[in-house]
Amino acid sequence: MRPSPLRIVIAEDAAIMRDGLTQTLTRRGHHVVAAVADAEALRQAVDTHLPDVAIIDVRMPPTHTDEGLRAAQAIHNDHPKVGVLVFSQYIETQSAAELFAGAPAGVGYLLKDRVADVSEFIEAISRVAHGGTVLDPEVVRQLLRASRRGDSLASLTPREREVLSLMAQGRSNTAIADMLVISPRVVEKHVASIFAKLGLAPSDNDNRRVIAALKYLEF
Amino acid sequence: MLTRSVPRRTTATPGGAYPWPVPKVYPWLRGHPTLVDGMLAVALFLASISELFLAGIAGGPNWPPGVVVGTAVFSAGLAVTVVPRRRYPEAAFAVAIALVAAQVAIGMQPNNTTPPVRALEPSAADAAILVLVYTLAAYRPRRISVTGLAVTLLAVAAAIGRWAPAYAPHPGAPLLGAVVGLGGSALIAWVLGDHIAYRRAYYASLEDRAEQAEAERDAQARVAAAAERARELQERRARAVDESAARLRRIERDLHDGAQVRLAALALALGEIKENLAAAAGRADDDGRITLLVGAAHENAKQTLAELRDLARGIHPPVLDRGLGAALSTLAEASAIPVALSVSIAQRPSLAIESIAYFCAAELLANVTKHSGARRATISVSDQGGRILITVTDDGAGGARLAPGGGLAGLLERVQTIDGHLEVDSPPGGPTIVTIELPSHA
Repeated sequence: MRPSPLRIVIAEDAAIMRDGLTQTLTRRGHHVVAAVADAEALRQAVDTHLPDVAIIDVRMPPTHTDEGLRAAQAIHNDHPKVGVLVFSQYIETQSAAELFAGAPAGVGYLLKDRVADVSEFIEAISRVAHGGTVLDPEVVRQLLRASRRGDSLASLTPREREVLSLMAQGRSNTAIADMLVISPRVVEKHVASIFAKLGLAPSDNDNRRVIAALKYLEF
Repeated sequence: MLTRSVPRRTTATPGGAYPWPVPKVYPWLRGHPTLVDGMLAVALFLASISELFLAGIAGGPNWPPGVVVGTAVFSAGLAVTVVPRRRYPEAAFAVAIALVAAQVAIGMQPNNTTPPVRALEPSAADAAILVLVYTLAAYRPRRISVTGLAVTLLAVAAAIGRWAPAYAPHPGAPLLGAVVGLGGSALIAWVLGDHIAYRRAYYASLEDRAEQAEAERDAQARVAAAAERARELQERRARAVDESAARLRRIERDLHDGAQVRLAALALALGEIKENLAAAAGRADDDGRITLLVGAAHENAKQTLAELRDLARGIHPPVLDRGLGAALSTLAEASAIPVALSVSIAQRPSLAIESIAYFCAAELLANVTKHSGARRATISVSDQGGRILITVTDDGAGGARLAPGGGLAGLLERVQTIDGHLEVDSPPGGPTIVTIELPSHA
């Protein structure tokens, strides 16, 4: 199934990466409406084009610290319909937490390395563009490992932990079923069991479940 | 330790203390005491000889040649005793007293004539004894000089005892004159010498005090110089610490902008190729070997990216640019055990100190995770009077020690290079509390 083409803005100060991403996305049939190198140009491009999603590098000129993060938050506030996918060279849990505070619909945070797994990366862009949530597996791993809810998490079976982890990354039940090579019905059963064990209210909506899981992990 | 020769205090420049210019003869004479004493001896001798002859010319008694020769020989002997007076004062005095005693013993012929006939006339050379009493008083301990004075006075008494009958039956006036003249002279000579000795001791003590004061001044100057040097070294160290932190940030930035981004782009390209090959796998012209090779290259690129990221983060975690709080929070989140973090810093320390504080906390937390068996840990950072206080606590087994060569000792050494402190409180059974104190600026 070929997904519908997305209108995308890229903000990345390294030309080689900017061009690489543009070419890859274009080859997959998406429209890169603007590719810029700093936060200021990003804000303008988003205001002008109102894209489906903006892919934003955290470190950009002039200070190379967290311009991308601040711009993503501003865009998410000003244009809730524009998805923001922030990608970073390092996992900075605090940055991710700041980004996900409030309403994490149409928000993504990924390690830059993830571009190497091209299809998955593009799938993540698509999820964010459609109002979903994407959280880097590494962040989720850290959340699960250092959670103060260790005791109740310990009551999960290994498979349930796996499902919870994928869910926290923002995957839909269908995607989880595909990845674990099990039927969607089995995934449903696992999810129900997880929510029961952790004392969370069940929900049919994929994204709401993701948010519940992240709240539970005190993200 | 600094060794520096303390310059001896220079004596006052000649003439400095006098209102008129003193000729250079003075210091020269002071440098040649034997010559001065020799001149004194010659003067004494000439005085006594001239006395002997002048008496004859002036119509006084005409001495028989024997008396003249004897007197001259004795006078010469007495005069000569002043020459070695400074080096051998006691010996010179003893010889002079012996000569005087001989004079007194055999020098007077009491034959009721007026004036009496003297075989050996006491002469001006007898003043040598006064010079020697003075010398004893000036250069020798008082015990010796008083003995010398007593012996002299005894000799005076003996001489007067010998003379007195010659003046009978009216000895009053000459006797009194002799007692006052001879005894008084000896006393005055002693008092003068003693006074000189006292003055010399006083001057010596003054000089000592001056030298002490100078030494103190020197010591103070050295302390001040050392303090200045320490301040200079501290500044240099601060510069070095800041520079090295800045260099590490630059290296991380270069890696981020250079190698890391290129590698990410490469991984992206390889990922594309891999997926395209996989899509073409069904076709007849697919080469399975190429798919495998590209897959391996793709994996390698991803692995290298991860390694490079760890390396760069080890050099300088970029999140530190947003402050110690943000960096420690990321550190705490990544920890294998739950970490409660509290950071309350009113004023951001220098970047270098933030970096050191971060790596200290990271290492302590790694220790907790690896060795303590703790279930949770806390990190708290605060600032107090220009110092940063970092406390890492865990509920583990305790028993952590500052063993030589151990991780904690290494940490202590590192913080000591910037005048920081590290304390470990870890009783067996826990809890372990490690406290690190750092200056706000290197």
